[in-house]
Amino acid sequence: MTKFIRFFSLILLFCATPLSALAIDSQDLPDIKEGFVTIKTIDPTQRVGYTVGDVIERDVILTIKAPYTLVETSLPIKGYEKRYRGQVIGIELKNIHHEKDVHKDYTTHHIKLAYQVFTNSVVAKNAALGPEYLNLINMKNNKDLVKYRIPSLGIAISPLAIFGAVKVEDNMSPMLEPLLMTHTQEKQWLKVALGILVISLLGLLYILGVHTWLPRMGGPFASAYRTLRKTPNSAEGLKQAVSKLHLAFNNTGAMSIFNDNLDTFLAKKSNFSPLKYEIQQFFALSRQVYFEPNATHDIGNNPSKWLVQFARRCRDCERGLTPTPLDSKAGA
Amino acid sequence: MSDLQLTDWRNHALALESEVNKVVVGQHTPIRLITTSIFARGHVLLEGDVGVGKTTLLRAFTRGIGGGYQRIEGTIDLMPNDLVYHTYLGEDGKPHVSAGPLLMSGENLSVFFFNEINRARPQVHSLLLRVMAERSLSAFNAEHYFPHMIVFADRNQVEKEETFEIPSAARDRFMMEIPIVVPNDDAIMEALVFDTKFHNVDALVDTVKPDVLQFDELNGFSGVIQSNITASDTLKKYALNLWKATKAPLDYGVKVSGVDMNRLVLAGASPRGMSMMLRAARVNAWLNNRTAVLPDDIHAVFHSTIAHRLVFSPVYEMRRTEIARDMLSGIINAVAAP
Repeated sequence: MTKFIRFFSLILLFCATPLSALAIDSQDLPDIKEGFVTIKTIDPTQRVGYTVGDVIERDVILTIKAPYTLVETSLPIKGYEKRYRGQVIGIELKNIHHEKDVHKDYTTHHIKLAYQVFTNSVVAKNAALGPEYLNLINMKNNKDLVKYRIPSLGIAISPLAIFGAVKVEDNMSPMLEPLLMTHTQEKQWLKVALGILVISLLGLLYILGVHTWLPRMGGPFASAYRTLRKTPNSAEGLKQAVSKLHLAFNNTGAMSIFNDNLDTFLAKKSNFSPLKYEIQQFFALSRQVYFEPNATHDIGNNPSKWLVQFARRCRDCERGLTPTPLDSKAGA
Repeated sequence: MSDLQLTDWRNHALALESEVNKVVVGQHTPIRLITTSIFARGHVLLEGDVGVGKTTLLRAFTRGIGGGYQRIEGTIDLMPNDLVYHTYLGEDGKPHVSAGPLLMSGENLSVFFFNEINRARPQVHSLLLRVMAERSLSAFNAEHYFPHMIVFADRNQVEKEETFEIPSAARDRFMMEIPIVVPNDDAIMEALVFDTKFHNVDALVDTVKPDVLQFDELNGFSGVIQSNITASDTLKKYALNLWKATKAPLDYGVKVSGVDMNRLVLAGASPRGMSMMLRAARVNAWLNNRTAVLPDDIHAVFHSTIAHRLVFSPVYEMRRTEIARDMLSGIINAVAAP
């Protein structure tokens, strides 16, 4: 029996020896030489104002060059309570997430650390996340075991409520930036108001422009030209077209325009002077259509088509442009 | 046949105009209007200062159309019977009666000129208006007819003392009121003063080719014109709108500077006035070789056939000519056709 107990104790000792070797306290190991490890941390912007229950996340990106490699069992353990000089400081590692990218010459470790605050105080007090110590081993020499220290991040734990007579100015931390009033909503309202204003101005311009999208688009002849293009090529359509053009002349001249006061119109609206002969032709056509069926004109056999061309040329004059050359086939 | 007749008569009418234009210079518009009234068979009021050639104008026309020409001067003591007969003591010491200006030419009277009609009393106006309307007169127990007569009357617009303004009902009997003004052309004005041919009116009128037209055929031919020159529906609507506008110019946006348009018009054109306007417009269309009336034809006679018919508030009567001109021009500018 005693023999059996000795044997079992020997076996247990033999098995426990390597574990104890690996469980060496990281802080007692030598530091890794410079140049083998580079670190980048993404720290929270808020450094103060934490209170019980808050979770603080910190990203650590380590690049470890060969031949060293990370001993992953040295990563901080979830649920570990941080201590300072043996005293629990009330910050616990709530979660850790580790990923690595292995390359030939180096390995990059993405370590996401989430700490949770389990302490509070009636006054603000300093605290720290970390430091964390990681073990690295030389893959070419198993005995070359070193440590790397992830620097700590200082934060401040704030009380949940101020009690007693507290002068806020005295209690303000120089690390806390001034609290600014949020104006996001006001900015949105301003944008909406500016949008409405722009739409209203466009609407006003549209109304002032006599319901047109472009300047001078709503002139009497522009309107007549649009109508004439849709007017059927029939006797009734011809009457409507002539009537529409008469209306355009009257509106342009601000008076009823007839053949006998055409010169007055042209003196007032000299833009139309290049079309004098055509306007006379138009009045001759109007005479035949509306007053004297036996009257003749020299427009041709397709007066509707000629009228569309004529309206377009009048529209050009109305816009102060050189009239579009007359299609020689118009009216034919 | 009618077409040939219309063309032939038009040539004669234009020849008559040409003849008159030779002796009365710078009066193309009044001459065209008088030609129009002759063929429309309407009486005419002449408006103009003294010495502007009204008598010469009428005598020239009378020579061109033939028939008798009579003239009488309006005076405050003129009585109706002065138009019909004269009484005088003859060389034999006995009273004699001779025909007055109305009866002197008998049925051949073609032009009767009443100078300064507003100097005559209303009794005289009454007689004249009856003769104008019925072209007949009862005298010496007989009925006298003047079927070819057209009355031309002149109003003295300058002097107001001892005058009797023609009432609106009487003015309405005249087809036209034609203004005769001194021409603005310096060359014409110089010719009127220095060209000796204008100094002797008798000799001047004698240069007009006589009997270019036959006065006793004018009534018949006038009917031919009226029946052959057509008016389209659009034209009728246009004329109707013009008529309405003379009654209510504000409804058509017509305004006259310095005039309260709500108070201005007491009465617009009468139905007789509008029918006379259309008669004159038809003649104008015919003279311009058209077979139908155009708005231009109405414009040509609108002022002369309508202005004197409008009845204005008394407060505006002193500015009648100016206001009527502006108002009618405004109507033509405001009413559209089609």
